[in-house]
Amino acid sequence: MNDRQPSIVVDGVSLAYEIPVNATSSAKEYLINLVKRRIIYEKFWALHDVDLELHRGEVLGIIGPNGAGKSTLMKVLAGVLPPTTGRVIVRGTVSPMIEVSGGMNGELTGRENIVLVGALLGRSPRLMRERVPAIAEWAGLSDFLDVPVRTYSTGMRARLGFAIATDRKPDVLLIDEVLSVGDESFRGKSLQRIRDLMDGGTTVVMVSHALAMVERLCRTVMWLDRGRVKAVGPAEEIIAAYREAV
Amino acid sequence: MVHIRGAASAPSQPVYDSAARRRPVIDEVRTLWTHRSLIRLLVVRDLTVRYKRSVLGVWWTLLNPILTASVMWVVFSKIFDRVARGESVPFIVYLLSGVLLIPTFFGQGVIAAGSSLMGSGAILSKIRVPGEVFAFTAAIAAAVNFCFGLVPLFGIMALTRTPIPWTVLALPVAIVAMLMLVTGVGMLIASAAVHFYDVIDFTRVILQLVVWMVPTFYPIEIIPDQYQIFVKLNPLYSYLQLFRGLLYRGAFPPLWNLAVVAVSSVVLLVVGVWVFSKSWRRVVVKL
Repeated sequence: MNDRQPSIVVDGVSLAYEIPVNATSSAKEYLINLVKRRIIYEKFWALHDVDLELHRGEVLGIIGPNGAGKSTLMKVLAGVLPPTTGRVIVRGTVSPMIEVSGGMNGELTGRENIVLVGALLGRSPRLMRERVPAIAEWAGLSDFLDVPVRTYSTGMRARLGFAIATDRKPDVLLIDEVLSVGDESFRGKSLQRIRDLMDGGTTVVMVSHALAMVERLCRTVMWLDRGRVKAVGPAEEIIAAYREAV
Repeated sequence: MVHIRGAASAPSQPVYDSAARRRPVIDEVRTLWTHRSLIRLLVVRDLTVRYKRSVLGVWWTLLNPILTASVMWVVFSKIFDRVARGESVPFIVYLLSGVLLIPTFFGQGVIAAGSSLMGSGAILSKIRVPGEVFAFTAAIAAAVNFCFGLVPLFGIMALTRTPIPWTVLALPVAIVAMLMLVTGVGMLIASAAVHFYDVIDFTRVILQLVVWMVPTFYPIEIIPDQYQIFVKLNPLYSYLQLFRGLLYRGAFPPLWNLAVVAVSSVVLLVVGVWVFSKSWRRVVVKL
């Protein structure tokens, strides 16, 4: 792998969500609006002209108030939201930890879900079947492997999701507030796992409201405000400025 | 940013480039191939989850078409019994073959593929998985369901001493053609459903009409000659003729039926995939 090539490039990215002007979006109204040539969607710009470049092994924290576009930026990096304008390049395997438990199916057992979520993340089912015991062990769910996931608590689901996403060392890890789940001991354990991944050269982007943790894990921090980059720089500096502002 | 396509990058390393140009249809087919193990898992999930809480479980897949056909048999056997003489097969075989192909494979498949995008919104907005995977999974699941349904159908044919001709060996052709049609039509509906959800309910109603306008449980002869053209204009009629021809008549249908099947399956698949590739990402962009 060429280390000089940045593993993440965000170049002038803006993103607009489409919000229907009328709360209802029935076919009849659509046709009426179409005939009247009225615009039926309003654009809501969640990101304005965001630039970012991260090299292999760098760890970036994104902070900002609610609605600043942090999660949207994560979705753009994860490749699920194509930017409206601008360009995104992400090199290598990506583990998005934006609630991976969303890919789970409540009717399936923990064991089946490990294989399913792994496959959704692009890992081979055969590999995932081999990894089932290790993943369950780490998540502390070995005794619950063969019961449907719908019987799991939210914390159990989140633990399982975290364990699956971090089971392999990805080239890029995207963490969106997942560390706010779980009890104290699990949080410590997952923090340690993120540190291990970071030492292994994984590029990490994390979003969190837990400023102390961002300060501990990240050297660089980006402050987003209403979709714009307000500041990027050394963690202590930016976080101090952010604390002052809010 | 010219250096980005430099030869230095390892070939095995995946690169996500939002500005990468997509070749319509070709890239979608490649996507399906690279995601084949995921699709297999999702198909199994589709077929098993539905019956997870039931006692009979996956056996419902076999029972469903039999029960549907039995109900119709009770209702219609007296009225349409003469079809059996015209067709030289027991009415139940005529009925079950129609029910399996049209309402089960086509009808349920189109609805499942059509609602696949809305149903997978939670995953699509979190993990980068191509939307095609979910639409195709739904269509494949319908095809597998249909193949399961062939088991009791052959059972009934054996029980009623209906001769099974060698042309059944060509059934995969009919199944693949129907799979292409279901995928294409399902993807068109899924694309429309992204814009307004009503499309799914609307489709259910239209499907009823389209499905019952082909001779699933009645002989085409009961329709006056001058109106038969409307039945024959329905492409599904040609699929049904192909299926029944191979299954028990021991012959391919007339050439025009084959032409309708070939053209409609290819055209609708290509158009469906193309329209779908343009619109599925909007599921995530829409709030």
